[in-house]
Amino acid sequence: MRTSPAKLLILIAILLVIVVELRTVLAFFDVELTVLQGIAVGIVGIALLLVWAFSPLFSESDQ
Amino acid sequence: MTDLFVDSYPKQARVVRSAFLTAYIALGIGALFGVLQALHRTDILRLVESPTYYTILTGHGVFLVITFTIFFLVGLYQWAVTDSLGRGPVDMRLTWAWYGLMSSGTLLAAIAILAGFLDDPPTVLGSELSADVLFTFYAPLQANPIFYVGLVLFVVGTWLAGADWFRTWWSWKQENPDARIPLPTFMVLTTMIMWYISSIGVAVSILAFILPWSLGLTGSLNPTLTRTLFWYFGHPVVYFWLLPAYLLWYTVLPKLSGGRLFSDPLARVVFILFILLSTPVGIHHQYLDPGISDGFKFIVMTNTMFLLLPSFLTAFTVVASMEHGARQRGGDGYFNWLQALPWRDPAFTGMSLAGVVFAFGGFTGIVNAGMNINYLVHNSLWVPGHIHTQVGTAVALTFMAGSYWLVPQLTGNRLVGRDVALVQVVLWFVGIVFMTNSMYRGGLIGIPRRSAEPQYDFDYEIAVGSIPEIRAQLAIGGVLLFVSAMLFLVLILLTAFNDDSEPIVDGTIPPALSGPEDSPRVLDDLRVWIAIALVLVAIAYAFPLANIVSRGGLFGPDIGPFPVVVETVASVLSTTDTGMYLEALVETES
Amino acid sequence: MRIHQYERLWLIGAMVLIVGFIVTITYGAVGLGITMVDDQEATLPPDDIDDDERFADPRVEQVGEDEYEAYVVAMTFIYQPDPIEVPANSEVTFYVTSRDVIHSFTVVGTNTNTMVIPGEVSVMTVEFDEPGEYGVVCNEYCGSGHHDMEGELIVHPEDEFTLTELAVDAPESVAPGDDVELEATIDNGLLEDLDVTLEAEIGDETFEEDVTVAGDGSETVTITVDGEELGEGDHDWTISVDDETESGSVTVGDEEDGGDDS
Repeated sequence: MRTSPAKLLILIAILLVIVVELRTVLAFFDVELTVLQGIAVGIVGIALLLVWAFSPLFSESDQ
Repeated sequence: MTDLFVDSYPKQARVVRSAFLTAYIALGIGALFGVLQALHRTDILRLVESPTYYTILTGHGVFLVITFTIFFLVGLYQWAVTDSLGRGPVDMRLTWAWYGLMSSGTLLAAIAILAGFLDDPPTVLGSELSADVLFTFYAPLQANPIFYVGLVLFVVGTWLAGADWFRTWWSWKQENPDARIPLPTFMVLTTMIMWYISSIGVAVSILAFILPWSLGLTGSLNPTLTRTLFWYFGHPVVYFWLLPAYLLWYTVLPKLSGGRLFSDPLARVVFILFILLSTPVGIHHQYLDPGISDGFKFIVMTNTMFLLLPSFLTAFTVVASMEHGARQRGGDGYFNWLQALPWRDPAFTGMSLAGVVFAFGGFTGIVNAGMNINYLVHNSLWVPGHIHTQVGTAVALTFMAGSYWLVPQLTGNRLVGRDVALVQVVLWFVGIVFMTNSMYRGGLIGIPRRSAEPQYDFDYEIAVGSIPEIRAQLAIGGVLLFVSAMLFLVLILLTAFNDDSEPIVDGTIPPALSGPEDSPRVLDDLRVWIAIALVLVAIAYAFPLANIVSRGGLFGPDIGPFPVVVETVASVLSTTDTGMYLEALVETES
Repeated sequence: MRIHQYERLWLIGAMVLIVGFIVTITYGAVGLGITMVDDQEATLPPDDIDDDERFADPRVEQVGEDEYEAYVVAMTFIYQPDPIEVPANSEVTFYVTSRDVIHSFTVVGTNTNTMVIPGEVSVMTVEFDEPGEYGVVCNEYCGSGHHDMEGELIVHPEDEFTLTELAVDAPESVAPGDDVELEATIDNGLLEDLDVTLEAEIGDETFEEDVTVAGDGSETVTITVDGEELGEGDHDWTISVDDETESGSVTVGDEEDGGDDS
């Protein structure tokens, strides 16, 4: 694992927060995400984080 | 490992534990009331009739921002004074006296508030037992006198607590005539000076006007005057909630990061700025009030903006201290040091996340303070959004995180469920962002705060998303926060009974990188700052108060009480028959 | 006092930001003319509201070309008048006071927002460019029915806006041989002259009359109908001007005279 469970938890929390706030920010630029799109972005983001954290490829290449 | 607080000062630890216990009980009730409101106003689950919503709202406000925060404050400050001076109070009887006064005051106010749940409340002191007047109790809304008596006892209790700490310090000073005031004690004393200056406002408002009026001794009052006196106290009180969190950020957080405070002198400057600037800004809550000239409003606007300064300084010092700690732990790089911080520690993570949310809340606070844009957001859902980021997270989450560090030292027990505690603080962070984001967005389109049913005949013109989505987001946030608060209380309860364990906490606070010797001694001369603060208060308030009294009179233009009961609705409506309308206005076809 | 170099920079940056905020707000107040609710208006005790010529009769009044004043009374848990109707392309000054507790007068989604404190009168001047409908809510908790306190603000297209008031003075009954006289008074609240057609209907007869009412004046039209032509019995009448309609009924003959018994 590339990071600790605690840091992973906090990264996921921050990601969720960014997704929630990002929808509001994007709307200022006339990009409107629906709730479903927002949830989708969140899920994809969390998945990427998990892959990044657990994938042996990443941890090898980075160390 | 050093001696635990509970071993070194068993008697003082008992006081701190009692204060924390009261705070946690209030947190539990307040959190329950909070989630009930979140579900009620979004029309997802309505367990009570809408008029009872305001009983719950009053309880939520009073139990959380008065009982929870201030009881935690007195506990924390008792710990800070004892720990940093290395001695207990001169006379413990005074200590228990203020705890007793504050508790009985809380109890009286709580009885008056909770009587709102009764179908047929008893009559006490000549009026019905109820206090559906919210935390701000704006006259001519009137509560039972018991409510006001409770508030007065509570505030007098806090005054005695301050006197107790000043007495302890004075006694310490006789033994250490040349020593600088230790930073934690300095913070306690400066906070209390701010509190003495500001709480006079609410004391005068209640004792001179509202209490006699609620007892029927005086027939009328001036609503603008009592409201202005309330806000004279009502803005500094937010710093009264915030400064204990600052104390934790300045002393405990750097230590948890693995280092020490960056600058002791600037910490002192920050607290002095709060003495000076906290009070002469209260009228910024009254930008929309008639009867106060725009010149006075402009003056408080500038004062308010300068209040940003101590918070900016705090942001720098705290982050710099964390970076120093991270580098001590082996962190490097421009941002990589963040990884070296002890994220597994719920006390550290909770306080850091609280700090992040505080920064966001600071920006919305600037919007509120901007007197012209305030007209767009005043009393909309935006405002509780701001409040929940500040007192509801910067303060409350810091207190919870601080509890994870302090409670083991106060009980001698190891913290139960450290990993669950980490989840708890993260859950709070996510919950608050969900809830406040929806509140900000709702507020901008005009959804009002403090309303049981913000569903009206007209449609809100929404720019982003939809109303059901905003409601759902608010409710999800509220539920997450409730779950988080309950988790916290369970962990603390389990810790309190975790008798046969040894805490693994190091309670020592390392000295600052740049110590008090780097600052001029005048910073410690509290009399100077009190004098300047009083002058600033006089400049900001003498003319507005004189103007308000000369306009409306000390006791107002014959304004009677308005008991908050349903019966009055019918009697008022009967006076408003159509004869009073001018029916000349024409509906034109379109 | 020793201050770290970075901290000094940060301090200067913070001060610049603070001064910047103050400057932008000052610009908003002075440059853009965003005024605040203040103490310009004299106090008005709630007991005197009914004797005050502005608030005794809450209404909208034209005071100049494209300039209007709205006198609004807030009380638990309504606003008067409701709805408040104004024309587009106008400047409306709202005067708002409270009969009982502290309320607010808040036009939802706009910055037209003020506290309404008993004893004080809040004054705000608002420009309405476009027609539209707004909700008005009380956003200061004012008692158990607070959430029911709402009103409506309608901005009409300029050319469809009138301040016409119709009052009809009609007898309840007349003797069989007498005339029935309906006296219709048309008030024109606008400052411009008003050309309207008064339409009246009584029994089977209809009347139409073109009337010009001077600005801020009133005109009385009397419609006379021979009672015998109507015949004995009850006759419904209706008089309308623009969208204002008054109606009632008149009895010819004294049989079953309902008005006199008791």
